[in-house]
Amino acid sequence: MIEVPSEQMAPAVGEPEDRREDGARKVVGLVLRFLMPLASILALWYLAIYFSALPAFVIPRPERVLQTLFNDRSFITVHLVETLKVAAIGFILSNVVGIGLAVLFMAVPIGRQLIMPAAITLRNMPYVALVTVLMLAFGDSIGSKVTIVVLAGFFPVLVNTSRGLQAADPVALDRMRVLNASWLETFLHVRLPYAVPFIVSAQEITGSGSIIVAIAAEWMISSQGLGYIINRAMQQYRGDQVYAVAFLAALLSFGVYALVHFIGERLNWQQSGQADRA
Amino acid sequence: MSEPISIRGVSRRFGRALALDTVDLEIAAGELLALVGPSGCGKTTLLRIVADLVAPSTGEVRIGDAPPAQARQSRLLGFVSQRPAVLPWKRAVDDVAFTQTITGRRGFAPADLLRDFGLAGHEGKRPAELSGGMVQRVNIASAIAHDPQVLLMDEPFAALDEMKREEIGDWFAAELQVRPKTVLFVTHHIDEAVILADRIAVFSTAPGRILEIVQVPQPRPRGSEFRRHPVFVETAAHIRGLLFAREGAPA
Repeated sequence: MIEVPSEQMAPAVGEPEDRREDGARKVVGLVLRFLMPLASILALWYLAIYFSALPAFVIPRPERVLQTLFNDRSFITVHLVETLKVAAIGFILSNVVGIGLAVLFMAVPIGRQLIMPAAITLRNMPYVALVTVLMLAFGDSIGSKVTIVVLAGFFPVLVNTSRGLQAADPVALDRMRVLNASWLETFLHVRLPYAVPFIVSAQEITGSGSIIVAIAAEWMISSQGLGYIINRAMQQYRGDQVYAVAFLAALLSFGVYALVHFIGERLNWQQSGQADRA
Repeated sequence: MSEPISIRGVSRRFGRALALDTVDLEIAAGELLALVGPSGCGKTTLLRIVADLVAPSTGEVRIGDAPPAQARQSRLLGFVSQRPAVLPWKRAVDDVAFTQTITGRRGFAPADLLRDFGLAGHEGKRPAELSGGMVQRVNIASAIAHDPQVLLMDEPFAALDEMKREEIGDWFAAELQVRPKTVLFVTHHIDEAVILADRIAVFSTAPGRILEIVQVPQPRPRGSEFRRHPVFVETAAHIRGLLFAREGAPA
């Protein structure tokens, strides 16, 4: 019979309790993580109502906003679907244009000199002017709203993807050349994977931005979508409806960001490597 | 099968600076020739010229009967860089197999190759999960996975500590007995060159010229215990003398 010194036994005896304590700490941490921001937002909201003394149609109480969200749910849902449609199509096209141009610039370097100045000019133009021109050209159509989303969204994708495609490790590129790999093989197996973390971070900007820009475009030119509801509610002194839509839009934006982040983490080899080690 | 390398009158300029000045070298099939010299003497440039990664300003290189571009297109070359060229998202076994996929040449079974390289049990790991020495072994395994006839190595063990370098050097010397190749080996370390090489081309400072080609009069493979051998001491001292006499500083 081998005697085990009592000091060696101690950690084993203490283990389940430690685990229980760890579990409890995790639950408390999770609750605090979600409840604290919510509590601080509500506290600030009530303080603003109390100290600003503004009328309820400018700054309604949170419970009134929730009530509106529930009561007007069918009306809001119709317009929410319209906004999501514009944002989703705009988001996809932003990627097609952004990634497509970055790949084109990589394959045909002269393309960068030809197209980049126009892209930068478009990027720096006030969107209000662009919206006006698009409104005059296409009227209140899904095409004009999607165009605005794409104009706002493609640039971060283009810049990040270009940077990512240039970020491939030179020794890996040397390896591909010595192995006599084709341009396409080098692109698919080395340049593109190195660019993934850059493309992922662009999605986080463009994904949530698409919702906000779609609403802004609807606010300016449309008779459909969440932006339209805000515009209409303002004219009818329905602050509760404005806040309800704003709350919904923020939630949507956050949801899209979280979803894109979640998918991105799984595509990103840097993140998945860390996850494996953990 | 391995191919000889012939380097005739090769010079290379970068802008106005002359990096390499009229280098002539003949490397026999199956020979291991080390290039030793101070930093910036153009030895890496010469290696990259042979690998068809840099074009010479003048002169020509032949691998067998072919110029480097043709040797590269025929997948005769293996290149080991100082910094490992393994792909960080690939597991060791996939990285080795990747070389074979790209070249369309299945030299050795990737798992067998890794086992021979002392990496049994680590086949499924990514570079971030391996030690520096292990990553360099995967790097070498990936470089020879398509069984190239010529292996070009640019300070492959420079990033490792002294102990690891000796260990991997011994292993590499033994490995070459199993899979013989013509090897051009760039190194800063005189000791490493004397242990591993058949001959050592000693370079001057920029512009790089060959000061002398030193023969190591002892057959390969030689392990790190060769350091105590009188031939080692004498050869290493001779090379140091060549470099110190020219530069007044150690290589």
